[in-house]
Amino acid sequence: MFENAPCALLSLDARGYIVRTNRALTAWTGYAPETIAGKRFLELLSVSGRIFHETHFVPLLRMHGSADEIALDLVRADGTHLPVLVNAVEERDGAGELCSIRVAIFKATERRRYERELVAAQSEARMLQGQLEIANVALERKLGEERDLGRLREEFIAVLGHDLRNPLASTRSGARLLAREVSSERATVILTHMEASTVRMSALIDNVLDFARGRLGGGITLDLAASQPLEPVLRQVVDELRYGTGREILTDFALTEPVACDHQRIAQLVSNLLGNALTHGAEDQPISMTARTDSGVLSISVANGGTPISPSAMEHLFQPFFRGGIQPSKQGLGLGLHIASEIAKAHRGTLVAQSSSSETRFTFSMPLTDIGAEEHDG
Amino acid sequence: MLFAHGFGCDQNMWRFVAPAFQSDFRTVLFDHVGSGRSDLSAYEPAKYASLRGYADDLVEIGRELGLRDAVFVGHSVSCMIGVLAAIKAPDLFSQLVLVCPSPRYIDDVGYRGGFTAADIDELLVSLADNYMGWSAAMAPAIMGNPEHPELGQELTESFCRTDPEIARAFARATFTSDNRADLPKVSARTLILQCLDDVIAPQEVGEYVHRAIAGSELVILDATGHCPNLSAPRQVVAAMRPFVDNLA
Repeated sequence: MFENAPCALLSLDARGYIVRTNRALTAWTGYAPETIAGKRFLELLSVSGRIFHETHFVPLLRMHGSADEIALDLVRADGTHLPVLVNAVEERDGAGELCSIRVAIFKATERRRYERELVAAQSEARMLQGQLEIANVALERKLGEERDLGRLREEFIAVLGHDLRNPLASTRSGARLLAREVSSERATVILTHMEASTVRMSALIDNVLDFARGRLGGGITLDLAASQPLEPVLRQVVDELRYGTGREILTDFALTEPVACDHQRIAQLVSNLLGNALTHGAEDQPISMTARTDSGVLSISVANGGTPISPSAMEHLFQPFFRGGIQPSKQGLGLGLHIASEIAKAHRGTLVAQSSSSETRFTFSMPLTDIGAEEHDG
Repeated sequence: MLFAHGFGCDQNMWRFVAPAFQSDFRTVLFDHVGSGRSDLSAYEPAKYASLRGYADDLVEIGRELGLRDAVFVGHSVSCMIGVLAAIKAPDLFSQLVLVCPSPRYIDDVGYRGGFTAADIDELLVSLADNYMGWSAAMAPAIMGNPEHPELGQELTESFCRTDPEIARAFARATFTSDNRADLPKVSARTLILQCLDDVIAPQEVGEYVHRAIAGSELVILDATGHCPNLSAPRQVVAAMRPFVDNLA
């Protein structure tokens, strides 16, 4: 069995010298049996195998009494390498002294190839992972840059809007002062239009500023005032627009209960709704506005006649910069309805649009209960 | 008495030697960072790219323990690590025991280290190319050793197990080192233990170290291979005994 075993077998003395070997080893290595006898086992190994033998194999064998599946390379007589797996076991006498070491060697060419492929696949996977990480970092940086740029633009809009306010206020008071002095009817009409335009411009700037603030994380903040009546505030908005545009605006107010809301914000909401009706409604039909408190709810609605809003446009009505399929002459920034709906949300209310061939109506509703208290309740 | 293990395994290499000195000395054993059961998170590739990083650790251990005029016992590559530490901090060790030392493994003009540059290249390539054979697949099935019942299983569990990348870096630091110029700077009393038929540190390398360190003693052990601390521990102890007793 020893001589003809299908694996290489060696018997070593306590110092690692080969005492006996079998046919498989001489056949695999090409060494004559008499050349092998008397060699140290490690002399059959490659250089790295010899170092491994001394730094790992021998210590393992000594520590555990045996060592299994050690991967080594035999060097054949012709200098070529043969990958093998080695099992070894120590034999000791009754006194615990090492007598001999038995070694079994198995060919491992295929296994080594498989292992090399595994290692190659592993290193390729590592490399790909590295590339992916680099690409991710680049993408993150790019995203960050885009975010910064977007933020810069919004900051720019906020500053610009703010800076436009003062010269606009000067223009408006200038127009007012002049209106008292001029006597020609034509000049009066022009100055009236000029003032109305500044009112509209001021409302647009407010919308832009609110939008930029919202994007910058400030959101719409409320300054609640329940003790002051709301009606005079609304009337002033209507008067200004009516006066400036010369259009007919019918009003129906029934505000019988105090409303805890931000008056300037509600005025802005109404101004935006009226502005929208004036821009898009039929010029020959009046705009009608109602404001009432009923059953614990404040509702304000603005209606106009003219071409109805298409169902597809209806879906995006309250999105910022939405301008529908309207004529270029009527284009605005598309912020009015968006800001109005944001103001409604800030008041825990809703803004709803209905549109048919007879009229287009926007209705704002909010609860009359104290917003602050509700917020406190969560 | 501080024991330092070499490339490949861990402090268990001293299992049969260190106990012999326990009654006369306070013995200290440790695993180099990256070996045995050391804290792998402490491994810094840049620091351990050369033996100096390991020597710095040795000095740190000595300082932490407050060692003065201690005995350093190093095996294989740790001999040069100990030499570097002894030069850096001469007060730490008054005696060095170098088991199978080599200041340079690669042959040079007028020097025979035992390996050609191509041999070491082959070694490093084989580590890189087939590290499964060197470490992962190399981890043996843990089994009881009836011949050595005193070896607790948990103690030998990590024996010869190394992270492949670290094994490769340690091999590079070891086998490409050249510390010949450091040897004459050693002032501690030095004992060199040399084996017969050591392919890693051949006899003429041991003789070179003996000549380079003034006043050193060289003892040739009747043992083969590179690990007399495992294969011939009694001889190692016997050779060390008169040397260290001389001190007391």
